[in-house]
Amino acid sequence: MRKSKSIADKLIPPACILLILAVWEGGVRWLAIPEWILPGPVRIARTFAGTLPLMLKHGQTTMAECLVGFVAAIILAFMIALVMDEITPVKKAVYPIMVASQTVPIISVAPLFIIWFGYGVLPKIIVVILVCFFPIASSLLGGLAGVDREYLELFRSMGAGRLQTLRMVKLPLALPAFFSGLKISASYSVMGAVIGEWLGAKEGLGTYMTLSQHSFQVDRVFAAIVAITLLSFALVAAVGWAERMVIPWSRLRDE
Amino acid sequence: MSEVLVEGIRKTLGGMLTLQDINMKIGERELVGILGPSGCGKTTLFHIIAGLMTPDRGRICIDGEDVTGRTGIVSYMQQKDLLLPFLNVLDNVSIPLVLKGVSWREARARARENLDTFGLQGFGDYYPSQLSGGMRQRAAMLRTYLFSSGVWLLDEPFASLDAITKRKMHSWMIGVFNRLCPTVLFITHDVDEALYLCDRVYVLSECPTVVKLDITVPCPRPEIARTITDPEYGRVRDTILDALAV
Repeated sequence: MRKSKSIADKLIPPACILLILAVWEGGVRWLAIPEWILPGPVRIARTFAGTLPLMLKHGQTTMAECLVGFVAAIILAFMIALVMDEITPVKKAVYPIMVASQTVPIISVAPLFIIWFGYGVLPKIIVVILVCFFPIASSLLGGLAGVDREYLELFRSMGAGRLQTLRMVKLPLALPAFFSGLKISASYSVMGAVIGEWLGAKEGLGTYMTLSQHSFQVDRVFAAIVAITLLSFALVAAVGWAERMVIPWSRLRDE
Repeated sequence: MSEVLVEGIRKTLGGMLTLQDINMKIGERELVGILGPSGCGKTTLFHIIAGLMTPDRGRICIDGEDVTGRTGIVSYMQQKDLLLPFLNVLDNVSIPLVLKGVSWREARARARENLDTFGLQGFGDYYPSQLSGGMRQRAAMLRTYLFSSGVWLLDEPFASLDAITKRKMHSWMIGVFNRLCPTVLFITHDVDEALYLCDRVYVLSECPTVVKLDITVPCPRPEIARTITDPEYGRVRDTILDALAV
């Protein structure tokens, strides 16, 4: 009984998606909507398959920008958050600036990087870093600050140094919070790269999208959206996998 | 070894005089209970003895040596078990040894030898979340013991346990005390627990706190859990309750 119910639970979401796609396809055919306004899912799928080699080439660039930016953001956020957590005056000085900087829409400053660094991959990587940095740093900071004071007192009473306490207590206890920030950043990173490419690039899914858009190849735009979504999904899934590898104890409670 | 002297401790916290003048002397291998109304600064006193806080005045001496404000000398067990969720029991209790510079391998070996005494035989590979409250508390106590067999500060170690588990822990603990002979300072809110486990009891006053009563428990530590019928016991109990103004 319970098993059949859980199977039903798993079947409902894909069934729902299929239904939406069917309505979409049916609507497009029935209303005879021109393809350059809204193509149906079947047409998009066909285009996706047909342009896959081309998109893979563009996707590689976007993927590289995402990964480099994401990894750089992780390293930067990790170092800065640790320094901020260990040295309170630094935290007091930097944290408000960090929060305030988030109110600047990234899309409004991205053109500057094009001016400064040209049409290569560097400005895209910078945008990715800027988008990813804050969620990672703030979640790690929150995790470090949220460690129960009593753990710190216990370790201090046992004569542990700051580095030992950081390594043995604070960092491991902050990891779940860190990973929740990481997941948000993983999906942001793709968005950052695509925005960077929209503003001007030689290659990348964002460029491919803009080019298709200008020639009213809406089916290609949709195919690019699908590709971008898949890329985003893959990154988030990779982070989730890494989380399960790094923090196996968080699953113990569910078993 | 391990005689603890608390001399004229005064501490103001957040502008309020919490500890006015605390003087205590705990002899070697003595088990001393500390009773007092909530908020009278018992935990503050333990923080000072453990070196986590410095007093405004006064000093802490262990075996004649002034250790005021120095951490890493006495074992401090707080109310919560504070086991790290990502380490198994064996690694958790090995931590104090590792912090002292012992290798993980050797620390684990020494911890394993003691699992039996603390009723954790066969549970070394378990994670804290897989253990019962009583077992977690015993693991925390093993960690306390592995840090130092000399002086233990126990801050309401059984407060979070249910009444039956608490009873079992009492008789178990008497066995551990008799075997390991540490010097123990024991904070509790439970008069019977104090009388049952301790050789002597200090009763603290309300804030600003002073030692109100220093009373020796007349009956020796019982071997197993039995209701104490000694009439002297009832008299001591009443004296303590009067001092607590209950």
